[in-house]
Amino acid sequence: MMHDQTDAADIMMGDVVRLEDVLSRDSVTSVCRSFFSLFGLPVRVITHEGDLLADVHRDQPLCNYLNTLDAGERECAKTVGVVRDLEPELQTTVHPCFTGAVYRIVPLEYQGRPIGRFIVGPYVPAETTQPPASLLSIDAPIDSAAACEHFETMPRVREHIAKKISDHLKGVLELLLFSGHRAQLASTMQVASVRENYRELAEKNEALKSSLDELKQLDQLKSTFLATVSHELRSPLTSIIGYTEMLESGAAGALSDGQAEFLGTIRSKADQLLGLISSLLDLGRLEANSLDLKHQSVDAHALLSDLAATIVPTANRRNVSLDVQVGDQTPKLWGDPVRLSQILLNLADNAVKFSDEGGTVTIRAERGEIDAAGASGLGAALFSASRPAVVLTVEDGGMGIAEQSLSKIFDAFYQVDAGTTRVHGGAGLGLSIVKQLVDGHEGKIEVTSTPGEGTTFVVTLPAADEDA
Amino acid sequence: MQIDFAAKELTVKLVYYGPALSGKTSNLRAIHWLGTSSACGELMTLETQNDRTLFFDMLPITVSSGTGLKVRLKLFTVPGQVMHNATRRLVLQGTDGVAFIADSQRSEADANRESFLNLKRNLQENKIDPDQIPIIIQFNKRDMSSIRTDEELELIAQRSKEPIYKAVATRGYGVMQTLRGLIRDTWAKLEDDHQLEEKFGISPIRFMTEVEAKLKHDPGPRGR
Repeated sequence: MMHDQTDAADIMMGDVVRLEDVLSRDSVTSVCRSFFSLFGLPVRVITHEGDLLADVHRDQPLCNYLNTLDAGERECAKTVGVVRDLEPELQTTVHPCFTGAVYRIVPLEYQGRPIGRFIVGPYVPAETTQPPASLLSIDAPIDSAAACEHFETMPRVREHIAKKISDHLKGVLELLLFSGHRAQLASTMQVASVRENYRELAEKNEALKSSLDELKQLDQLKSTFLATVSHELRSPLTSIIGYTEMLESGAAGALSDGQAEFLGTIRSKADQLLGLISSLLDLGRLEANSLDLKHQSVDAHALLSDLAATIVPTANRRNVSLDVQVGDQTPKLWGDPVRLSQILLNLADNAVKFSDEGGTVTIRAERGEIDAAGASGLGAALFSASRPAVVLTVEDGGMGIAEQSLSKIFDAFYQVDAGTTRVHGGAGLGLSIVKQLVDGHEGKIEVTSTPGEGTTFVVTLPAADEDA
Repeated sequence: MQIDFAAKELTVKLVYYGPALSGKTSNLRAIHWLGTSSACGELMTLETQNDRTLFFDMLPITVSSGTGLKVRLKLFTVPGQVMHNATRRLVLQGTDGVAFIADSQRSEADANRESFLNLKRNLQENKIDPDQIPIIIQFNKRDMSSIRTDEELELIAQRSKEPIYKAVATRGYGVMQTLRGLIRDTWAKLEDDHQLEEKFGISPIRFMTEVEAKLKHDPGPRGR
């Protein structure tokens, strides 16, 4: 039984505070009972604090008889009181009783400290054959014959045997004490180690959490910076594009061929720059969740026709064929038409960009289903299984993406291969924006790719209600 | 240290620290085996796994001085494996002196250094100043091959702040010298901090004489 006072300080010194902290009453009593049945000698175990831990004895007829006499009862109580309070320092003490019997008091010491004692007796040393005068003269009306008769029934043992028996019991109790102490220390250390580990982990978690908060703040700062810079860049760029258009239209006079060519290049690069800045602005808004999506019913045929018209010039330049298919049963989409076009344009533009010359890009729309619980499938059990959706597939036969890069392609500014940036341009923002736009529409995007064979993006977006 | 003025009793905690498998438990086993039974109690080995210490070992030594003062020395080991750092830190709580058991093998030099740095950190975590607490270093396993030579240890000893001892703990060589050195240095520090001679009437020299008398002499590292 653990004692509340046995706190960490005592444990860390490896000390036993009280005998009962490490020895259970039941086990000590059990040992004493076995001792009694074997040798017939009464035994009591008392803690250093004076508490009785075990008491195994049988009332002796002599003691019962003496307790009927006033003086006998008085003397008996006095002897028992003295014996009980006697705590020998180091050596065993043998205390005599007026009856001729003795009590053997054996100190229990543990790791240099007194921790308790046990008392064997009363018993009569076998060497004593006659009851002493102190017994027979204890009280006036004592019945000597009865006293002698009772004296004969007292437990008897030779002193050197009594010493051996006591030494044996001491050894057994010390062994129990050692085992109990060991078990107590082990369990306390177990708990203390777990607590210490927990404290250490909690501290580390706290440090990690504050790092995370710091990183989040930095990320927020980055988004704000991007949004501000993009906005500030766009205003002068709009003027550049505007004035270029005016020059191209001849508002400032006729242009030579060379001037027209240079202005064309300025215009094209300015458009490219504007596209990049718009992407950055979109990303900033998407990350800040401030992009306002204007949901409406969108026809898949019209969406893909517009897309094809936009992408055809680029595809023709790269000698890439476009195969646009819309399934018969394809329902209308539910989303923001501008953003849906942006999703498809990004994917189709990438597909054309990374296709080999003479290759084909397939863009397909068909009927499908989407988990009603959303892309993550969380709580799917609680929702109806699925709802109608439009599956948009953009497939190319280009260089493909290595498996280890697939999980990162939706990260902002991630480029699968830095070399491709130089060849094809781009800031690594397109797919990140696509992913966030798809998420914003409660849809999902998946990618499969085989290096050398091509890449397929599958976007599943909720369909508009049939009657919309 | 715990002082019980009423019982004229001092309890001093000494910890054997060091890297895994450097011989901390072997030191305690040897002390238990070489020390007199009147002074040394039972060696308690607390939780092991494949003969490796998980929590600690503990050996109590009681020295009853002629002046009536009773000194209880509690010797502890720590688990050396890196993963048991929390347990090491707990065992170090309230320590009065440390014997750092280093492995003499050249291949273990890094493990020794790492463990010593860990000792310093854990002492600090327990609010014990590593510069103030008595620390001695024992280079154990002097019977192995590929060890730092005696000449190298001489050089190390010259520039070391901590006293250096040599030992073969599994054979008992040098363990008692290490223990006596640890007790001497620890007692000197406790004397400085608590004026034990003034309080209990026992000088450091007399105390050490009594410790020597209570603990048997070991034969020493023969031929080394």
